[in-house]
Amino acid sequence: MNRWKKKHITAIKPNKRPKLAGEGFAGRLRYFLFRALTNIRQNVFVNVVTIGTITLALLIVSLFLLVFINLENAAESWSERVQVTVYFDHDLTLQEQGSLRTRITALPGTSRIGYVSRDEALKRFKNRLRGQETLLEGVRSEVLPPSLEITLKRSSRETRDVEAYVAGLKLIPGINEVQYGEEWVRRFNTFLNFMRLIGALLGGFLVIAVLFIVSNTIKLTIYARRDELEVMSLVGATRFFIKAPFLIEGIIQGGAGALLATGLLLGLYEGFLHNAGSFLTFNPTTAGLAFLPFEYICGIIMAGIVLGFLGSLSSLKRFISV
Amino acid sequence: MIQLHNVSLAYQKDASAINDIDLRIEKGEFVFLTGPSGAGKTTLLRLLYGALTPTRGQVLIDGQNVSRLAASQIPHLRRMIGVVFQDFKLLPSRTVFENVAITLEVIGWGRADIGKKVMHTLRQMGMESKINLTPERLSGGEQQRVALARALVNDPKILLADEPTGNLDDANKNQILNIFKEANVRGTTVVVATHDRRLIEHAHKRLVTLNKGEIVEQMEKEAHNGDQAQ
Repeated sequence: MNRWKKKHITAIKPNKRPKLAGEGFAGRLRYFLFRALTNIRQNVFVNVVTIGTITLALLIVSLFLLVFINLENAAESWSERVQVTVYFDHDLTLQEQGSLRTRITALPGTSRIGYVSRDEALKRFKNRLRGQETLLEGVRSEVLPPSLEITLKRSSRETRDVEAYVAGLKLIPGINEVQYGEEWVRRFNTFLNFMRLIGALLGGFLVIAVLFIVSNTIKLTIYARRDELEVMSLVGATRFFIKAPFLIEGIIQGGAGALLATGLLLGLYEGFLHNAGSFLTFNPTTAGLAFLPFEYICGIIMAGIVLGFLGSLSSLKRFISV
Repeated sequence: MIQLHNVSLAYQKDASAINDIDLRIEKGEFVFLTGPSGAGKTTLLRLLYGALTPTRGQVLIDGQNVSRLAASQIPHLRRMIGVVFQDFKLLPSRTVFENVAITLEVIGWGRADIGKKVMHTLRQMGMESKINLTPERLSGGEQQRVALARALVNDPKILLADEPTGNLDDANKNQILNIFKEANVRGTTVVVATHDRRLIEHAHKRLVTLNKGEIVEQMEKEAHNGDQAQ
């Protein structure tokens, strides 16, 4: 009796649920990716608008970054001129030099120390006055004092740091006369800080504007497809099932926008900006403007992907109600 | 299959869209909900598929208390309910086939099985020759048949329809009514909200009349027929 019942049940129960489309994580991911690509194909215009907006937004940010980084580089090379010079009234013996070097090197902030003898000082003087050598007739090396030139570490080039360093230097026996162009260092650092502040403000506003524009564009594109969200919800799709293809679409849009933006930036750089440095005599230490470092390019692409993902996520939250 | 116990729903504090409704619909029944505009027909249907939660009372679908379901459970409830609307709600960028396939993709069917089942359902609706067209190239009646195919393709236990023939001519109305009847014969419980008297008279099914959010009249199939015969 029992056996018959079992058979009967299996006979009348049809196999209502055929095997799943994509079992496991990989299968699901494949389905969502397929859905996202199909959605892009079926909504070309909307996607072109979104990718275009992301591209332009990221291009503006990347251009800003390019200029900012080159300005920073220029400032960096200018700051090499923040140098402390210690003058002596007699030539130093090798032993004296050695002991002073050891004590100066022990001071925090010291990067390089170079000894300039009287002869070396005269040679430099002559070099500077090339073409007007007559002015130096009768000038002997004894007139010029020997010196130690100290270059400071990058982290110790701020006005206060330099002042503190010089104070420390003066405590070393045998060091009396120290010069470091106080006024120049102060002005240079003020200019540098002002430039950084303006850069941070502009960059901040730019990023906020970009976030606003991109998130609103994505919101509009999802709004245009809210019927799809509603239908999916009506036929019993879970929130994740509805969201996943849209999120992948957002990632693709963001990634594509970022790639296009960096491509366009490279084109602009090769076409126009490459030689702008020498044209503007903007950064005399390099031949022209430098392109963005590799880490920055990776950062921009990641930013595009995150932008697309978060833009879609926040927009979906607004439109998906169970 | 469907039970409502003292169900009330108020969108605003003093204005209730549904007021203290008691209703029981058995498995395999075919019921018309009727009443003037604003009577609460659509609200009642929305309560059944979990788009709204009652402010008071219980809504039971196949033994499950809808008002107590977690948000994550609602999709599972909807997989056993097919819903059809007056404006069809088809996706304009997808083909007829894709519009119907959505229902099965959501529950995770394989591509080959989806193909077979969707074709089978579209054949029942007489739409097999239009699978590659987008909805904008179909007539109103055809669009409603696609919407019905989407609702019925996973053999739901319940079919809910909100003014399904509102935009259709008489010939198409009859076709749609026949599809409802066929689904009902196969065991699906059918609830149709409409104020189309002609459709109701043609169907000879149980009739529930709503007004101002309350059930004002219920006619069983036989009484209804008798009423019509007089």
